[in-house]
Amino acid sequence: MQRESTLYTFKVAVVLCLVCSVVVSSLAVGLRGIQKEQKEAFRQQNILTAAGLWNKIDNTKQEAEEFYKQYITPVFIDLERSRSTDRVHEGSGELDPKAAARNSQWHTLVTELDRDVEVRDDAGIRKREKYTTIYEVREDARLKTLVLPIRGYGLWSTLWGFIALDLTQAAQGPESITIKGLSYYEHGETPGLGGEVENPLWTAKWPGKLVYDADWNVRVEVSKTATTGYQVDALSGATITSNGVTGMLKFWLGEYGFGRYLKFISDSAATSDSDSGNPGTDSDPDTTPTQ
Amino acid sequence: MADKTAKQVLFDPLINDNPIALQVLGLCSALAVTVKLETSLVMALAVTLVTGCSGAAIGLINQAIPHKIRIIVQMTVIASLVIAVDQLLQAFAFSVSQKLSVFVGLIITNCIVMGRAEAFAMKNGPWMSFLDGIGNGLGYSMILILVGFIRELFGSGKLLGYTILHPVTDGGWYVSNGLLLISPSAFVLIGLIIWVIRTMKPEQVGR
Repeated sequence: MQRESTLYTFKVAVVLCLVCSVVVSSLAVGLRGIQKEQKEAFRQQNILTAAGLWNKIDNTKQEAEEFYKQYITPVFIDLERSRSTDRVHEGSGELDPKAAARNSQWHTLVTELDRDVEVRDDAGIRKREKYTTIYEVREDARLKTLVLPIRGYGLWSTLWGFIALDLTQAAQGPESITIKGLSYYEHGETPGLGGEVENPLWTAKWPGKLVYDADWNVRVEVSKTATTGYQVDALSGATITSNGVTGMLKFWLGEYGFGRYLKFISDSAATSDSDSGNPGTDSDPDTTPTQ
Repeated sequence: MADKTAKQVLFDPLINDNPIALQVLGLCSALAVTVKLETSLVMALAVTLVTGCSGAAIGLINQAIPHKIRIIVQMTVIASLVIAVDQLLQAFAFSVSQKLSVFVGLIITNCIVMGRAEAFAMKNGPWMSFLDGIGNGLGYSMILILVGFIRELFGSGKLLGYTILHPVTDGGWYVSNGLLLISPSAFVLIGLIIWVIRTMKPEQVGR
């Protein structure tokens, strides 16, 4: 067959595509297990980083594994009713936001979160899962830090991260809750601009910032002229990513994210200061705030 | 071209025919990933691997490629190799692959890889094309590592993350050069490297 004939050209193209796709996909499938482990380890490191227990400069990866086992307790949360739950099981997919977004049983559209008002989708996530995992750090059985998963849309991509809140003073009300740390582990923002959300120099600006005003309104924001205790310097050259960070904090720390759960923790810590054992277990379904 | 020995094919691209310094190709990634030596090394390794393997692959099938679709065939081969490298990095060097982010994927558009495939591998056998790819990869690597070395050492006082020059910010004596931490400094450094090479090898001037 002639080398320049149309049929031959098609043949070469098809064979080449087949060979290349087989090579690429078998490699991707073959390495998936190891990649998943790496991703999970990285996620755990980020939980620890947000909680201020580990950082990649001073600590080793082995320490991350140890610290995670030692300090972090995952707790399953029913976001619909804002309390912890044991009805879901790990591995079912209900706790994985990506899997939950595919199954209408496991998520609610953000706009339909409230029967009475249309909820604003500040985070740009469209669907909010019904169950999620949060991470507790306790000291002498007392809840010290809560690490919450957050995500939201920036300029190009959904940013996935964790925000850790210092709850040691939670009993004294919303204005005593401060940020302990923030970390992002997955995003597709422009490297060097929006991608700087993961720069330790920027995340170092977060600890100590206030979150709520006295009425539990989320006040924390990324601002071009950060002056108050609620504001953090914006990333230069990345206005839309910075706004995305503000938006996702507004949503996830607000009423339809973790806001009500935090309120519940604060209230129960205030009423029973001696017994802060396990706020929000399934034992009292009628007294917890429902919607 | 055809009468070059294997040794020439492999080592010429280091100084005599350096892809960055003489041909001024592949600058985008050279600016972006050289802020630390570690990322420079990994990127250098990745590009060398891709240019070498794509050279070998194209060299092997160049007699079968119809002229009309040769560029797209080269692209497909290179893209597959780049995805392979990306997958391997994600599995075995996760933190580095996070730092390199899009730049591994962008090896596809690195002019050096395409350039060698089109200019050399289409006309030569797999072994020579492999050597040519490795040689050009090494030429790229040499500049990348040199720039990464200077930028990390004088920009943050470290090499591969270990403190060499104790910076003032940590209570030391070295006032680090902040300019070297931002990408445009690589332009200056690469410019200086080109100047040095062309002073040593005047025949490269004006080519």
